[in-house]
Amino acid sequence: MLQRVITSIVTLFLASIVVFVGVRLLPGDPALVLAGETADPAVVAAIREQFGLNQPIWIQYFNYVGQALQGNFGVSTRDRIPVAEILLQRLPITLELAGLAILVGVLIGLTAGIVSAVKRGSFADYAANAFGLIGLSVPHFWLGMLAILFFAINLQVLPASGYVAFTEDPGENLRRMILPALVLGTGLSAVLMRQTRAALLGQLSADYVRTARSKGVSRSREVKHALRNSLTTVVTVLGLQLGALIGGAIITEQIFVIPGFGKLIIDAVSARNYPVLQGAVLVAVTGYVLVNLAVDIAYAYLNPRMRLAGGAR
Amino acid sequence: MLRRTLNIGCIAAASLMLVSCASTPSASPSADEVVAGGIAVVALSDEPDTLDPTVANTFVARVVFTAFCEKLYDSNDSLELVPQLAASLPVTSADGLTVDIALREGILFNDGTPFNADAVKITLDRNLTLDTSSRKKELAALQSVEVVDENNIRLTLSRPFSPLGAQLADRAGAIMSPTALETLGLDFGTDPVCVGPFDFTDRVPGSEINFTKSDYYYDKDLVKLDGVTYKFITDPNIRAANLRSSDINVAERLNASDVDQLDADGVDVLDVSAIGYQGLTINTDPTMSSSPLASSVELRKAFELSIDRDALNTVVFAGQTTPDCVPLPKQMAFRPDDIQCTDFDSDAARALVEASGETLPIPVELLIPARPTDQKTAEVIQQMANDVGFDVTIKPVEFVSALDLGRAGDFDMFLIGWSGRMDPDGDMNDLLTTGGTNNYSQMADSEVDFLISEAASVTETDARQDLYGQALDRIDEIKPLIYLYHDTWFLGLADITGVEYSADAIPRFKTAELTK
Repeated sequence: MLQRVITSIVTLFLASIVVFVGVRLLPGDPALVLAGETADPAVVAAIREQFGLNQPIWIQYFNYVGQALQGNFGVSTRDRIPVAEILLQRLPITLELAGLAILVGVLIGLTAGIVSAVKRGSFADYAANAFGLIGLSVPHFWLGMLAILFFAINLQVLPASGYVAFTEDPGENLRRMILPALVLGTGLSAVLMRQTRAALLGQLSADYVRTARSKGVSRSREVKHALRNSLTTVVTVLGLQLGALIGGAIITEQIFVIPGFGKLIIDAVSARNYPVLQGAVLVAVTGYVLVNLAVDIAYAYLNPRMRLAGGAR
Repeated sequence: MLRRTLNIGCIAAASLMLVSCASTPSASPSADEVVAGGIAVVALSDEPDTLDPTVANTFVARVVFTAFCEKLYDSNDSLELVPQLAASLPVTSADGLTVDIALREGILFNDGTPFNADAVKITLDRNLTLDTSSRKKELAALQSVEVVDENNIRLTLSRPFSPLGAQLADRAGAIMSPTALETLGLDFGTDPVCVGPFDFTDRVPGSEINFTKSDYYYDKDLVKLDGVTYKFITDPNIRAANLRSSDINVAERLNASDVDQLDADGVDVLDVSAIGYQGLTINTDPTMSSSPLASSVELRKAFELSIDRDALNTVVFAGQTTPDCVPLPKQMAFRPDDIQCTDFDSDAARALVEASGETLPIPVELLIPARPTDQKTAEVIQQMANDVGFDVTIKPVEFVSALDLGRAGDFDMFLIGWSGRMDPDGDMNDLLTTGGTNNYSQMADSEVDFLISEAASVTETDARQDLYGQALDRIDEIKPLIYLYHDTWFLGLADITGVEYSADAIPRFKTAELTK
């Protein structure tokens, strides 16, 4: 476990360098973006000085890391609002969206995967496979527009866009999150369905299940045992899908005008807003590393044979 | 050849600059349809930069400023200069070196601070001196600001500068509360205070900016809404979908292709011919561009002859733009009245290409911002130009990166527009003058430099029109730019009335009311 934590810290340190340099490799000068159409060279120079962009990159990096370790990620070049404040505002929104999407994904994906594996070759199996194929193929953007057209414009039962904080109005918050969570969760549920089905089929044909079956174990008990062993794969996939979920959130938040993390990142790229982009990506990387750490820990619970401590794998 | 005549009669009424024909206020419903108060939700096409008029640069920030930050002057729905916080039009001395401005009396900023000559001086001095001020260049001719008395200021200029009135009708003339400036300094944009119908409440970065009705506004009886919320929805399809579902009340810059459907759904759509232009900038410096177009006026002329502007308008924009061959919009007083563009003539274009002696087809790399409409436009141009002997390859690059390449002169031809200004100086100076920051074409012509500079220094409208006409003739001879069209912008309205939408394409909500 300690080894895993140390690896995670090193990963984060390396990621901070990659993020810092990567952001600066983007073509397009943020000072020119801020200076606008008229871009007076004297103004551009003053903006570079104001945001420290005229310093050597390694000095910029150490200044940034020194401040970031104290929780100061700088100020947004676009509106001079502290980045930490922006991140604290945005992160819970995307976490809520991602959490609801995972809920949708797990509920639909796991159920469909189990039904598909248990009823292999049946209509339910074909239907679940068709759903998986469609879920993987349909882009979030198109699905989102269809959802708005159907639920918001034609039926007028759900709002087309916008966000209300849960603390402000829980009911309205959930109402506005239904469509985005469904759209974002659909892709995830398709992946989970396919993985669950494949893993469960593998387990159901394993020797221990056959032995159990020959001893007269009921079908439901048989599936229960196989399912528990299949979940290792499913949890791994779920962890790996976090990156895809953040990627999907970028599009979903754009469509449904949700002021979350994904939208923040894409807006920051367009505006070459280095402080916001660095802060956001670094937080996303940290989240990714932590989730993967949590997945590793979950292995121990789901499959005791996997010993994380003492290098007994 | 571009031909022109003067239209003195048209411009006689405009004291400094402007005449227009476009004005589109939203219709008034019957009284029982109106809802008292309420918050109007407006979808902007982008997120504004800082709400500090001294440093703000985006068009959408100009839209938001109209809610809370009035200026010394404004343009009316005919694009004429009208006093806003000033009491009357500026009075310029005979030598053009001093400008007297009388201010309105008894006005308060939205924090209760009195509006007076001192406040105006503090704002204008800040615009002139702040390191990061984007207004410095616009006010370059302004030497000093003098407080004559409580309600009068005198501006001293280093040279006669006719576009000053237009500058003071834009962000340079937006007056900020001295109290807020003292408290917030560089962070003024995080909690801005000006004179305006609405008062800044808060901003949720990436999402929205909220305003509530001001208690201090001098015309508060005219303000019917309780507030305005500006949301940032970058995709026009999503703006349209939100209008149709009535999740928003107003959406700016809708797609032309969505207008019919919105009409059918009962959404009011207003349109205005924007003052900006779109064009093909040609790199005329052979040391920067290897394309033969860089050194050959005849080939540039052939390229223009190959473009059918009307067909482009029909195919890409469903006939909704205004094809044109000069930077000045049709509603501008200083625009020569009888401009005749080079007609599409593929035979003449082909003859010029063949006569050039270059190996055919002639390569041209067309740099474009990677946006769907620009891609469509470029593909139509590519087809037209290739038909006469050019070999156009399209290079789509993300917008900011494309601007970088443009500034560096790293292109043969660049499909890029300009958002337009109320005064012609803003559409030509710096874009076509030697060493101009936005002179991507690298054109350097002393005659054009002289004519544009001279036009900004004379005060008589007919003399300015004549000088701009001569400059346009000369530019047409050199062809550093092939102007294509002026855009038409569409504003969608759902359950709202009383929105002003003038020729500057900025919706104003001072008199707006929600409807059932």
